[in-house]
Amino acid sequence: MKIELFVVPGCPACVDARDGLRTAAEELSPRVLWRELNVLEELDYAIELGVTALPAIAIDRELTFSSLPTPQQLREALSRRIEKTT
Amino acid sequence: VSLTIGKVAGLAKVSTDTLRYYEREGLIEPAAKTGGGYRLYERDALRRIRFIKQAQECGFTLTEIRALLTLQSDDAACCRDVRRLAVEKKLQLEVKIKSMKVMSKALTRLIDACSAENRPLADCPILAALEGANGVKRRAR
Repeated sequence: MKIELFVVPGCPACVDARDGLRTAAEELSPRVLWRELNVLEELDYAIELGVTALPAIAIDRELTFSSLPTPQQLREALSRRIEKTT
Repeated sequence: VSLTIGKVAGLAKVSTDTLRYYEREGLIEPAAKTGGGYRLYERDALRRIRFIKQAQECGFTLTEIRALLTLQSDDAACCRDVRRLAVEKKLQLEVKIKSMKVMSKALTRLIDACSAENRPLADCPILAALEGANGVKRRAR
């Protein structure tokens, strides 16, 4: 499962929240692949996914959060996706 | 120096209605009102109006401009906060452009499907396609 965090560099809110979210995701599933994308370098991809607010999180190329979720919200979203795919 | 609404409007090249609208939207406020209720502005209102107009040209809505103006006077905010808003606006514009390109392509297909002959409306391929006719002919009106 691929989790992509779209950020704009220099966003302190993103940095603060990132580690907690990443840990929550990786604890839930060892199959999690975490990527962090600079939206300015990946503009076309961000647009393709419909990212219009930052920071944003896509799970398996699907825009799931348009603002930073809590670790619990991320865990729930991931659990739902795992259930769907198993 | 106090300027009347007409003077400010003239200098800023906007209408007085626009200034009143900006005021209703919480973007600008007169520095004072005369006893007769006439609005009076300080010169810095001109700078604020220029800011609003330029932000509008970059696609920001009035609500977003209000947020930018709030940021501008927030001591705790810094340039990166403004930059994030600018990046978000760019993303929103690009998403809109993408969707408009899809619309334009759809229109090209419709235009190509019609040879613009003097056919009756009942046989118009564009109207038929818009109705999602699936091969069913439009009923003549």
